[in-house]
Amino acid sequence: MLINSLPFLAFFAVVLIVYFAPMLRGRAMWQNAWLLLVSYVFYGMADWRMVPLLMGTTLVYYGLGIAVKRAIDREQWRAASWVTTLAAALGVGLLLYFKYLDFFGQSIAAMLTTMGLHVSWTTLHILVPVGVSFFTFKLISYVVEIHREHIEPCNSLVDFAAYIAFFPTIMSGPIDRPGKFIPQLQRAHTFDYALALDGCRQVLWGLFTKMCIADNLALLTSGSWQSPDDFSASRLALSALLFPLQMYADFAGYSDMAIGVAKVLGFKVERNFNHPYLARNVAEYWRRWHMSLTSWITDYVFMPLNIAMRDRGRLGTILAVMVNLVVIGLWHGANWTYALFGLYHGLLFIPLVFSGSFGRNRKLKPRPNGMPQWHDLLKMLGTYCLVAIGLLIFQAPSVSHLWHYVCALARPSLLSVPSLGLPVFTYVGLAMLVGCEWLCRDREHPLQFIHGPAVSSRAVRWSIYYVLILCILLFQGQTQRFIYFQF
Amino acid sequence: MNEQILNELTAIFRDILDNDELVATPQLTAEDVEEWDSLSHIQLVVAIEKHWNIKFSSREIMKWQNVGEMADAIAAKVG
Repeated sequence: MLINSLPFLAFFAVVLIVYFAPMLRGRAMWQNAWLLLVSYVFYGMADWRMVPLLMGTTLVYYGLGIAVKRAIDREQWRAASWVTTLAAALGVGLLLYFKYLDFFGQSIAAMLTTMGLHVSWTTLHILVPVGVSFFTFKLISYVVEIHREHIEPCNSLVDFAAYIAFFPTIMSGPIDRPGKFIPQLQRAHTFDYALALDGCRQVLWGLFTKMCIADNLALLTSGSWQSPDDFSASRLALSALLFPLQMYADFAGYSDMAIGVAKVLGFKVERNFNHPYLARNVAEYWRRWHMSLTSWITDYVFMPLNIAMRDRGRLGTILAVMVNLVVIGLWHGANWTYALFGLYHGLLFIPLVFSGSFGRNRKLKPRPNGMPQWHDLLKMLGTYCLVAIGLLIFQAPSVSHLWHYVCALARPSLLSVPSLGLPVFTYVGLAMLVGCEWLCRDREHPLQFIHGPAVSSRAVRWSIYYVLILCILLFQGQTQRFIYFQF
Repeated sequence: MNEQILNELTAIFRDILDNDELVATPQLTAEDVEEWDSLSHIQLVVAIEKHWNIKFSSREIMKWQNVGEMADAIAAKVG
């Protein structure tokens, strides 16, 4: 059930009516039990065969959290570390089994065959549970946070299970941290009108970016990977240059919808994007892109590694960054292109580590006319191009496809005028998206801007809502699956 | 004891984070200081260990949630 579909609207209406019904309102325990039930129903509708896995892992990690806390209370530090390591290994093992076993099996068999040892690997066709990369990270962080004594174990299994299975975010995130989310479950929720209204606006913006921009841009970018030679090189280059915007409109659109739905229920979930294409270097881009994943990996992979190698200076930092980005790449799936994508971004970090601009977080200062400074604009465009090259690696079905695509780009037709074949509205939508990114850079989503003092007239605000709804109804592209559902 | 440690931490923080107005108070967290990110945090740890000639375990470092906890950990090592 897609979050931007009518069945979801009906499902959510039922969830909402019961959640705030008089018999549940003000009773956290019953509200959470209802939330858990509907979350499992939602997850089961995607693939009911994986519900036992979700339940089983939730139960195991709940127990592991209690075990870590008991060991800490008894000052058995080694035992606490062992249980935490077991929890992390179990989570990584789950991901390895479901997402990577076939990939590594085939890769090792191919490597041994090239060495003269004839080994074959029978593809296992393992069913990959929906959202496994997202809920596994939540499970691991719960135990690690208890071990770091940042949180206490959750005193209710229902609350913990509701945190793991929370339906707006289980399919594609954002990846919520237990320290911020579980306390929200522990208090009863009454309908928060202001938060719900903001959530509805965020859903509307998400629907617009996904259905009017991403789904229309997909017409340009899809198909070119299967037979790049059938397209002119200029069309392939344009497709590669526009893919970052399609990916952003798709994933940030989904995130806006998920965060908005959660807000209507009264929950504040992690932010996932902070206007990534306003980044002036790759380090800044990673602080703004898929933030719930990058901050997770920074806290649990980069920081421990960098702390362990802190006496090695810049070399230690570079090594930690490389590992961090390759892990981020491979998190997306079992393909050498993802590892290559991480490695490519890791290499882009090296000059930043040496120049000292890796960690610097300079605020954007516009010119007096409100436009970006020229040097900032140039850096943003440069970073965008570097990201587009990275995403070319990312979206390639295989390394040989990537090579084929790059060869197809290096043809004389690169200088020809590309045939686009996109609906005219796509350009209007893109211009709106890019403009909003700059104008609303201090807001979580653009429709927060029009609710602020900048637009005081209620009639203007409602006109904007109606225009967006009309755009969605009239100019939506052919429904495409969310890009991040595959991860 | 912690007063003295906080004063010395203020000097280290100002030097590493390049912010002369910064004052290391027990409640101060990374979220309060724009320049304090994951990389500068490591630089702070290295500078602190060098300044007091002490060594922290990874678990001790990961446990800190504010400057107060950092100062307590230094006090425990320095004696």
